[in-house]
Amino acid sequence: MPRNPRTTQGLHAFFAAHPEEAHRQFFKPGLSRRGFFAGAGLATAGGLLGMTIPHYAHMPQGLVPAAFADEELLVGKDGLVLLNDRPINAETPAHLLDDAVTPTARHFIRNNGIPPEETDPGNWTLRVDGLVANPLTLAISDLQQAFEVVTMALTIECGGNGRAFFDPPARGNQWTLGAVACSAWTGVRLADVLRKAEPAPGVVYTAHYGADTHLSGDPDRLPISRGVPIAKAMTDNVLVAFAMNGNPLHRQNGAPLRLVVPGWPGSCSQKWLTRIELRDQVHDGPKMTGTSYRVPRYPVAPGDEVPKEDFEIIERMPVKSLVTFPRNDSRAGRSVEVRGHAWSGDRTVGAVDLSVDFGASWMRTELDPPVNAGAWQNWRRTVEFPEAGYYEVWARATDSAGDMQPFGIDWNPKGYLNNSMHRVALRVT
Amino acid sequence: MWTIRRAILLLGFFLAAPAPGAAETRHATGPAEDGIGLLAAGKGAAETHAACTSCHSERIVIQQGLPRQQWDELLDWMVDEHGMAPLRGRLRDTVLDYLAGQYGRDRPNYPSR
Repeated sequence: MPRNPRTTQGLHAFFAAHPEEAHRQFFKPGLSRRGFFAGAGLATAGGLLGMTIPHYAHMPQGLVPAAFADEELLVGKDGLVLLNDRPINAETPAHLLDDAVTPTARHFIRNNGIPPEETDPGNWTLRVDGLVANPLTLAISDLQQAFEVVTMALTIECGGNGRAFFDPPARGNQWTLGAVACSAWTGVRLADVLRKAEPAPGVVYTAHYGADTHLSGDPDRLPISRGVPIAKAMTDNVLVAFAMNGNPLHRQNGAPLRLVVPGWPGSCSQKWLTRIELRDQVHDGPKMTGTSYRVPRYPVAPGDEVPKEDFEIIERMPVKSLVTFPRNDSRAGRSVEVRGHAWSGDRTVGAVDLSVDFGASWMRTELDPPVNAGAWQNWRRTVEFPEAGYYEVWARATDSAGDMQPFGIDWNPKGYLNNSMHRVALRVT
Repeated sequence: MWTIRRAILLLGFFLAAPAPGAAETRHATGPAEDGIGLLAAGKGAAETHAACTSCHSERIVIQQGLPRQQWDELLDWMVDEHGMAPLRGRLRDTVLDYLAGQYGRDRPNYPSR
């Protein structure tokens, strides 16, 4: 097997014949890109494009050719804001999340690694093993035949949604508002699958594995492998999903198979799912340990340093709401229907209130019950403005346990769980 | 099919890299203040680009706002957790000075869009 694409054959042919090796070589840490160009040369680059680039000398550095960007990065998505292109991370502006059930084209993307090449549902298998009496290897067709297939609207929110507003800043993707969605997912209940595998008495945690590859190209590293306590895994609204809004999963949303764990950090919902292991300890895969998806177990001041051992794993996501109409900083008449969604992990939302006077007074909205457990709730209210001028609409949800969204951010070092109120500016004429 | 698509995608990223010899040229003849890719202009931009983008895009770098010490810890974390080749000596100082200056807590270059 050829080891050096720069000396043995064209890059195009090398990638076609040895995708994993090519991937490993080109993503190997420390490999000089200059080496790539010096060896493969622009002739090969032109070959990949299918033609030469006559004005390559004028091509700005950092420019991803528009055709590639459109075709590859956000194909099948509409209006998402790209935060990162390798790995792909993209969020949806709040006003594009107006639908009661989020269309696939508007569902955010949070990748930790590189999605797998092969995503043929006919060749996909899910393994269930670890502390089970009856280990399983299941094709997607086996899942569909052996278990009840259900469709549920389920809210997935990235643990770091809202990180961009942290001060001092917290490291990671600077999500603003749109790393949340509630699409209709079709699949089988994880609980049914685990029951068939017959969990042993000592099981405390699940461990999830996907087919995505580490950015370094090292096949021995996993980009992410998280899990949940067994009790959460046995909840009726945790799905092993193979369809999204009635169609196969979007490639960037985990095709052909993923977990959907509503109300918990999105990282629990492993994409490109290949294996679930049951363990007798809290899972310790990549992004389970250290400070990943963890917050201090006591309140801290903004900027405080917190010892690693004082962090605890995030479980349910806090109560939150989003105004999806009108759009922030838009013009409006004296009477406006304000609407959006509200959710609270493992709970329901009891009320959503609006203020247009900076919190001095509040008015209740009409709030729908969730269509099923784990779905966000839609709300609306027609607001009358007393006179023309600048207003801010603030939305504040209160959940079934009485928890209410705060005005300020409960700062933590890694920038998680920002559920502060959404503020929308309106210029009323 | 996806194999070819990935190759094309990768090419896009490689095009984001400096042209052959660019880093050396800049370093030798200056001005060292040019930006590279999406990284802001400043001394050390080329070195930082080379150090960071073999695994991930510089788009994640330009979102951050961290003091030097946290950038320092982040480099250790990249080495320990993600297999990055360690940066040593003056190169590490150059990269840290650049990151803390351009992507420090006062966020002079954020948001970038």
